[in-house]
Amino acid sequence: MKDNIISEMDVTTDKIKISARNVQVYYGENRAIKDVSVEIQDKTVTAFIGPSGCGKSTFLRCINRMNDTIDICRVEGDILIDGEDIYDSSVDPVQLRAKVGMVFQKPNPFPKSIYDNVAYGPRIHGLSRNKSELDDIVERALKRAAIWNEVKDRLQAPGTGLSGGQQQRLCIARAIATEPEVLLMDEPCSALDPIATAQVEELIDELRQDYSVVIVTHSMQQAARVSQKTAFFHLGNLVEYGATDKIFTSPEDPRTESYITGRIG
Amino acid sequence: MPDQHIASAFDRDLESVQAQIMKMGGMVEDAIRLAAQSLEARDEELAAQVRDGDKAIDALEELINERAARVIALRAPTAIDLRLILSVIKISASLERIGDYAKNMAKRNAVLAQLPEVSDSTGAIRRMCKTVEAMLKDALDCYVQRDAELAMDVIARDKDVDQMYNALFREFLTFMMEDPRNITSCMHLHFIAKNVERMGDLVTSIAEQVVYLVTGTQPDEDRPKADDTSTRLKG
Repeated sequence: MKDNIISEMDVTTDKIKISARNVQVYYGENRAIKDVSVEIQDKTVTAFIGPSGCGKSTFLRCINRMNDTIDICRVEGDILIDGEDIYDSSVDPVQLRAKVGMVFQKPNPFPKSIYDNVAYGPRIHGLSRNKSELDDIVERALKRAAIWNEVKDRLQAPGTGLSGGQQQRLCIARAIATEPEVLLMDEPCSALDPIATAQVEELIDELRQDYSVVIVTHSMQQAARVSQKTAFFHLGNLVEYGATDKIFTSPEDPRTESYITGRIG
Repeated sequence: MPDQHIASAFDRDLESVQAQIMKMGGMVEDAIRLAAQSLEARDEELAAQVRDGDKAIDALEELINERAARVIALRAPTAIDLRLILSVIKISASLERIGDYAKNMAKRNAVLAQLPEVSDSTGAIRRMCKTVEAMLKDALDCYVQRDAELAMDVIARDKDVDQMYNALFREFLTFMMEDPRNITSCMHLHFIAKNVERMGDLVTSIAEQVVYLVTGTQPDEDRPKADDTSTRLKG
């Protein structure tokens, strides 16, 4: 029997988008990620949960090679997107990041107009041939990020003048303007009030129609609300990975159980 | 896994709601025993006591549900905590139903006491009640001890209650065929026996909650059943 609420939560595809095999990450001598293998599905929201310092953000940042920017950081193992190794020497990290967008914990709009914030990515990647095409891309991205109605009359105003929740949705619009295939979100709602959080969560659910979304969150309830798959990290290990409803009703591993029920910090 | 939550108030909430379940369980055990006793002894005063006692059981169920709702609203329980709260709600509902059946037995007592006695079937009902009461006690014990194995044993024992009911069903049918003047008494006695059989089913569902609480999965549906009266043509 399928009722509406449950089927809405269903994962609609079995296609594997991101495949990580035996990933190890070192910061100098310190091993932050220990032999993590995971397969992340397309058109699915996957939540990474775990206590601070467990490696979930580090692992997230491996997926678009953000860790390349840290000198002492070394990544071993394979990460494949659509079967292609993103750490292959032929892969241009800038091109990769157009395909794998990222939204950060703190909204970080460029000190530019709202329009230019969103148009920046499409411009540098040459996604439009003329002004009217670019206008369309900006409008579509802002609409998808559920902020168009609030900013359509002041597109030339600075992005930094928006409220926190609006800035975060602007950053999401910026991330999706390049039509990425994967969207990484590192604590996207931790600086937002409950209404802005609900709007972003609603947006995440919509984005799932087209993208594979990976979200790192400290809010267990948020992970439960937005994701279909949940991965629990602890001390650099991937302890448990499975359907979100299973993880939150009857997890297999006692460490997962302890964490989600609030028995360890 | 550590037993204690980081938020100790959460532990206190869960403990208190479980303590209420145990209290309610004790009251229901008493109700079953006293109702059966009053039936056998034709003791109308004791029956009245059972009927009055049901109000306290109902009030406790309401209290437990309120507390459980509060825990859900304030603490958003997950995993074992969630299963615990769900089990608390379901177990209190089962206990309340068992209490109602005991009360109904006491009610029918008032009528039965006015009628001539039919054999020693009230003794058989009391023995049936005793079995159910022991099952309930074990179900509540394994709830406290988180013992899924004992819970499975309780579930298996419901078969005995079913068999006792089958025997009584045949007996009542025979009495009624023998002498139509027995019909009124036998109808009441049969309802009582049927209700005790239902109590056994409810105790079984409590034991199933224990299995769910401990293992995270419901036990298999095909538990042994021996109540075949619904397909029987004659005694």
